[in-house]
Amino acid sequence: MSEPNLVLAPRDVAFDWSAVPAHWVPGEPLVTHVMNTLHLVLPEGERWFVEVFGQALPHIRDERLRQDVIGFIGQEAVHAEAHQGAADHLAAQGMNPQPFIDQVSWLFRTLLGHRDLPAAVRHQWLLERLALIAAIEHFTAVLGRWVLEAPLESAGADPTMVDLLRWHGAEEVEHRSVAYDLYMHLDGRWSRRVRAMVVAGPVLGWLFARSARWLMANDPQRPGGPRLRDARRAARRGLLPSLPALLRATWRYLPPSYHPSADGGTEAAVAYLATSPAARAAAR
Amino acid sequence: MFGLLRPVAAAHLWFSRRGVRGHRPVPAVDRDLPLTVVDRRLEAVDVVSLTLASGSDLPPWEPGCHLDVRLPSGLRRQYSLCGDPADRRTYRIAVRRVGEASAQVHSSVRIGDPITVQGPRTAFPLVGAGPHVFVAGGIGITPLLPMLRASPAGYLVYCGRSLDSMPFLDELADLRDRVRVLTGIPSAEEILSSAPAGASVYACGPPPMLDAVRAAWSGPVHFERFSPPPIVDGDPFEVQLGAGGPVVPVSGVESALTALRRVRPETVYSCGQGFCGTCRVRVLSTDDTFLPCTERATGRVVLDL
Ligand SMILES: Cc1cc2nc3c(=O)[nH]c(=O)nc-3n(C[C@H](O)[C@H](O)[C@H](O)COP(=O)(O)OP(=O)(O)OC[C@H]3O[C@@H](n4cnc5c(N)ncnc54)[C@H](O)[C@@H]3O)c2cc1C
Ligand code: FES
Ligand SMILES: [Fe+2]
Ligand SMILES: [Fe+2]
Repeated sequence: MSEPNLVLAPRDVAFDWSAVPAHWVPGEPLVTHVMNTLHLVLPEGERWFVEVFGQALPHIRDERLRQDVIGFIGQEAVHAEAHQGAADHLAAQGMNPQPFIDQVSWLFRTLLGHRDLPAAVRHQWLLERLALIAAIEHFTAVLGRWVLEAPLESAGADPTMVDLLRWHGAEEVEHRSVAYDLYMHLDGRWSRRVRAMVVAGPVLGWLFARSARWLMANDPQRPGGPRLRDARRAARRGLLPSLPALLRATWRYLPPSYHPSADGGTEAAVAYLATSPAARAAAR
Repeated sequence: MFGLLRPVAAAHLWFSRRGVRGHRPVPAVDRDLPLTVVDRRLEAVDVVSLTLASGSDLPPWEPGCHLDVRLPSGLRRQYSLCGDPADRRTYRIAVRRVGEASAQVHSSVRIGDPITVQGPRTAFPLVGAGPHVFVAGGIGITPLLPMLRASPAGYLVYCGRSLDSMPFLDELADLRDRVRVLTGIPSAEEILSSAPAGASVYACGPPPMLDAVRAAWSGPVHFERFSPPPIVDGDPFEVQLGAGGPVVPVSGVESALTALRRVRPETVYSCGQGFCGTCRVRVLSTDDTFLPCTERATGRVVLDL
């Protein structure tokens, strides 16, 4: 199927976290916490997407892109709240993530938030952030494709958490072109797009490593510190994305001719959404 | 520890200042496709098909795609493509006479008339290797007709009130061994009785049929609605049309759009299901917007109307 024809709409999902164990991939605290990282980073991160895209909306001069952006905003807003639920569940299990979340919040709201600047510069600041979001969305789509195929069930992962990750991953794949198209529509300078990736890739890696380390250190079950060896072993079993695969994906983003539609994955995403318990319950 | 990122943000700010030079204005993108009606046929009682062309190749589409059709009166409605995706020169849609817009198609659109569309777009893509089971109710046949052709082992259950109300039965003649026609109001069990375990069901038809099929099939279900699902247990609220404007109560069994159309019959809308954005309005004195067709509020929401 030719991908760009898909209409994007949010799905009003709900998850019941009450029965999800602390180590929801049994015997794999590192895998659990690397993925729990998403619950600490995404609520604030995706609210920031919503905020920045809202500021971009009045500048769009393409009716179809405007519809895509509105669909994107709706989906990201639901993602943020869904991961917030999972973060609250972490808190209910005796791990208070608030100090870490406060830092993430400072990053997105203050450091990357609205700045008092002359109008022309303020617009460029908006474009800088749109380029960053396009780069970040490249990774969310890569991770989305990965999680749709990862052998999480056979590792005994909790089905509710797997559904959260796969529903989210599927929507990331569905809307993977929107941030890129929006950046290309409003600016499109290649140098800025590449520069944003050069920043976003390492910063995301650093952010996730920090967050996973923080979770391991604050886990009341004291699983010990995160070790690279454990991460490699988990990646070999397919339970974490592998670093070489992420580096290859980063590289793919750089050529001027790149477009996210070439990466595919929509079929798997649509097929998953037709079976996802949360997406099915949300369909009206 | 996040203070480490301060210089990174400072660099972006520096590039923002520098980026002012070299900024180009955003070019407007025109998505309108001006087409001409090149054929018009009566396909069943109250169903007319239109074949549209522009003289050059049209944007490609897959089974399940629809067009956003602008009628001469200004009304916008979606219609599923029901022709052959391999034919790049024409689009075909089929319209059942239901209300205002579809009545205009029936009464005033003629061969040779211009008609503007946007799209194609899809919220109903056909995926996977199957087995696929297609369930059509009445005019819901339109997106499923090209799906059946695209899925070599696919099977269609086509339901309708009566044979003379069901379009395209003649076109299905050569696929007779892959089609079951049911008239009246068959139960979901009857509809799905020949579906193999593990099949992906694709359904399009009236809301009660969709609800029954979705509830009865535990495997993958893909579906499309032509009209919004009924609202049964919403909380009542109020919309106000501008500061100091009239206040319209919205009951628990209707949408804000339905309520608005009672006092402002000219209120624009299209899909009624929250995905086309036609009905979107600004909420007064905020940056928020409101979709009257699906969104609900608590208390009162003041709209920029
Ligand atoms: C994605 C999509 C694809 C569509 N494809 C087709 C198509 O291929 N052929 C087609 O004829 N229509 C199709 N429709 C429906 C079409 O867009 C219009 O809604 C329909 O023509 C009614 O518009 P109207 O102005 O005539 O009626 P309105 O005055 O807008 O509506 C009258 C009432 O009828 C209800 N209604 C709408 N459609 C139906 C229906 N099929 N049966 C019973 N009640 C209905 C509405 O909810 C409303 O309450 C599609 C809709 C969507 C969202
Ligand atoms: S009418 Fe389509 S979004 Fe409201
Ligand atoms: Fe997301
Ligand atoms: Fe996203």
